Amino acid sequence: MTGYIIRRLIAVPFMLLGISFILFMLLYVRPGSAAFAVVGSVMTDPEAQARFEEKFGLNDPWYEQYGTWLWNLVSTGSFGDRLTPPQDSVTGKLIEALPNTIEIGLLTIVIAAIFGISVGVLSAIRRNSVLDYITRGVTIAGLSIPNFWIALLLVTLPAGWWGWSPFAFEWTSFTQDPFRNLYYAVWPAMVLALASAAGTARLVRTSMLEVFYSDYVRTARSKGLRERSVVWSHVFRNSLIPVITLIGLQTGAVLGGVVLAELIFGIPGLGRLTYDAVIAQDYPLVLGSIMIFSLVFILVTLAVDILYTVVDPRIRY
Amino acid sequence: MSQEATAPAPPSEAALALEYAIPPRQRFNPLRWVRREPFGAFGLLLIIIVAVGAAFAPLLFTTDPQQFGTGPPLSGPCLGCSSGDMEHRAWNETVEWREHRLFGTTPRGRDLWSRVLYGGRVSLKIGVATVLVGTLAGTVIALLSAYAGGVVDFAVGRLADMIIAIPGILLALTLHTAIGSDLPDLPGLSSGEFTLVLAISAFFLPGTYRIMRGMVLELREAQYVESAQVVGASNFRIMWRHIAPNMFGLMIVITSISLPAAILTEASLSFLGLGVERGTPSWGADLSGDSRQFFTQGWWLAIFPGLALSMTVFGFNIFGDSLRDTLDPRLRGRI
Repeated sequence: MTGYIIRRLIAVPFMLLGISFILFMLLYVRPGSAAFAVVGSVMTDPEAQARFEEKFGLNDPWYEQYGTWLWNLVSTGSFGDRLTPPQDSVTGKLIEALPNTIEIGLLTIVIAAIFGISVGVLSAIRRNSVLDYITRGVTIAGLSIPNFWIALLLVTLPAGWWGWSPFAFEWTSFTQDPFRNLYYAVWPAMVLALASAAGTARLVRTSMLEVFYSDYVRTARSKGLRERSVVWSHVFRNSLIPVITLIGLQTGAVLGGVVLAELIFGIPGLGRLTYDAVIAQDYPLVLGSIMIFSLVFILVTLAVDILYTVVDPRIRY
Repeated sequence: MSQEATAPAPPSEAALALEYAIPPRQRFNPLRWVRREPFGAFGLLLIIIVAVGAAFAPLLFTTDPQQFGTGPPLSGPCLGCSSGDMEHRAWNETVEWREHRLFGTTPRGRDLWSRVLYGGRVSLKIGVATVLVGTLAGTVIALLSAYAGGVVDFAVGRLADMIIAIPGILLALTLHTAIGSDLPDLPGLSSGEFTLVLAISAFFLPGTYRIMRGMVLELREAQYVESAQVVGASNFRIMWRHIAPNMFGLMIVITSISLPAAILTEASLSFLGLGVERGTPSWGADLSGDSRQFFTQGWWLAIFPGLALSMTVFGFNIFGDSLRDTLDPRLRGRI
C-alpha cells in the first residue's frame, strides 16, 4: 500500500512534465503568434517589438524556450513572467487566484455529495414509489440543464425583476470576511453542484439496488436484523465504491464548470485567469494555470484511489 | 392412505426439442420497446422534434436568422402581430416586419424563432461530428495500441492519463487557439466549425480510448480469436474481422452517451465567444454577450435558447441511457 502510494507520487512530476510539454507545443509552436499578438495590440514600433521578443526569448528555438521555462520552474519554482502588461510574475497571479477556485470546487463537491447521496439513498429505499419516479425525473433533468444557463439566469433575472441579488457586492476573499465570502460562494457552488448531485444520486440508487438483491443482504435479513441496520451497514457501505469513483471523476467536470461559473459570477479565480489569459494570448499564464488545474486533478484522483482501500478493504494495491 | 408416488415421466422427445430449440430470432418490435423503455422513447421523441426542427428549418416559418430588423427590436413573442408594419432601413429600402414572431426578437430585431431552429443545426452538426471523430479515433487508437502492446501501449496509456488531467473546457480552449483559423473549409463544415470539432473531440478521445482498450483486451482472450490465430489469420485480419465488429455495440453506446456532453461543450465554448463565427445562430452564443444585457427587458432572450439546449441534451441523455440498458446492461453504472 505504502509502496503503491509512493509509486503514484513519483509519477506525478512526470505527468506534469508531459502535460507541460504538450501544452507548450500547443501554445508556442503556433507560428508568429505571441509576440505579434501582444505587442501588435500595444505598440506598433518594430524596435519595441524586437526588444520585447528579446526579453522573453520568443525568437529562440522552441527547445531552448521550453528548456529555459522548465529550468526556471524547477530551480526557482517560477512560471516565468506574463507577456501582457504589467508583466509581473505568473506565480504570484496563480497564488492569488487559486484559493478562490479551490473554495468553490470544495463547496461544490461537498454540496453535491450531501444532496446526491441522500436523494439516491431515499430513492433506492422507496424504489418504484412516486417519490422515486419524481427524483429520477428531476435528476435526469438536473444532468441535462446546462449549468452556465442556470448561472446566467441567477445572475441576471433577480437583479432585474426584484432589484435584489446576492451578488450586489464585490467578491471578498475568505480571509477578509468569511461570512460575506461564503454567502457569495455558495451560489456558484450550488449551481455547479446540481449536475454532480444528480449524477451521484442516480449512481447511488443503481448501485444500492444492485446490492439490495445480493446474497449477503438476504442473509442479513434472515438473521433478523433490523431494516435500518441492513440498509446502512450492509447495503450503503457496499454501494459506496462506485460512488467514490464517480465523485473522483466529477472533479474534472467540476473544475471545468468552475471556469464558466467564475466568469459568470465574477469571481477572481484560476478559471477566469485562464480564460482572460487565453483571450489576451498571454501564454506563460495559460501554461501555468492549466498546469495548476492538472495538478489539482491528479492529486484528487490519487486521493480517491487511496480512499478506495478505506471503503473497501478487499482492494489492495 | 399414502398416495402412490408417481415418478415423473421422462420428457417426450418433442418436449425436449422444444426446450432446447434455439428460439427464433425476435424481430425488433418498436411498440414493445416503447412500452418497455418509456423514458427512452420520450427521449427519442424529443430528439426527433429537435432534428426535424433543425432539418426543415426553412419550411417552418423562419427567416434568415442573421437578418436584422425582421421585427421591432426586443419585441415579445406574438402571433399575428403588427402585420404590415415596416422598418425603413435606408431611403430606398424597407423591410416588412414578420407577422408571427413566435419567440420574439433580439435587441437588434433578429427573429429568435429562426435563430433557435437554425441554432439546432449548428449544435447537432458539431455534436455529431465531434462524437464521431472522438469515438472512431479513440477506438482505432485503442485497437492499435492494445495490439501493439509493450512500450507503445504504455506510452499511449500515459498520454491518455495526461490529457484526462486537463479540464476538458480548458483543453478545448487551448486547442481552439492553437489550431487557429488555418483549417480548410470542408463540405458542410466551415473552417471555424471544423476547429471546434477537433478541439472538442480531444475531450472525448482519452475516455473512449480507455474503455475501448479494456474491451479489446477482453475480446482478445476470446476463444474465437484464439482459433483464428491457430488457423493463421494475420493480426490485421483478427483486429478488423473478429474484434472490431464486436466493439460496435459499445461504440454506439459511447457515442450516444457522449453526444449530449459534446453539445453542451459546444454551447459553452460558443457562450465564451470561442465557438462558431460571430452572428452564426448558436444556442450558446445567443445566451452570451450582446443579448445577456437585455435578459431583464426580454425574458424570451434568456429562456428559449437555453430551453432548446436543455431539451436536446435531456432527450439525448435519457435516450442514451435506455440504449445502453438495451444493448449492454452490464455497462450500467460504468459509463
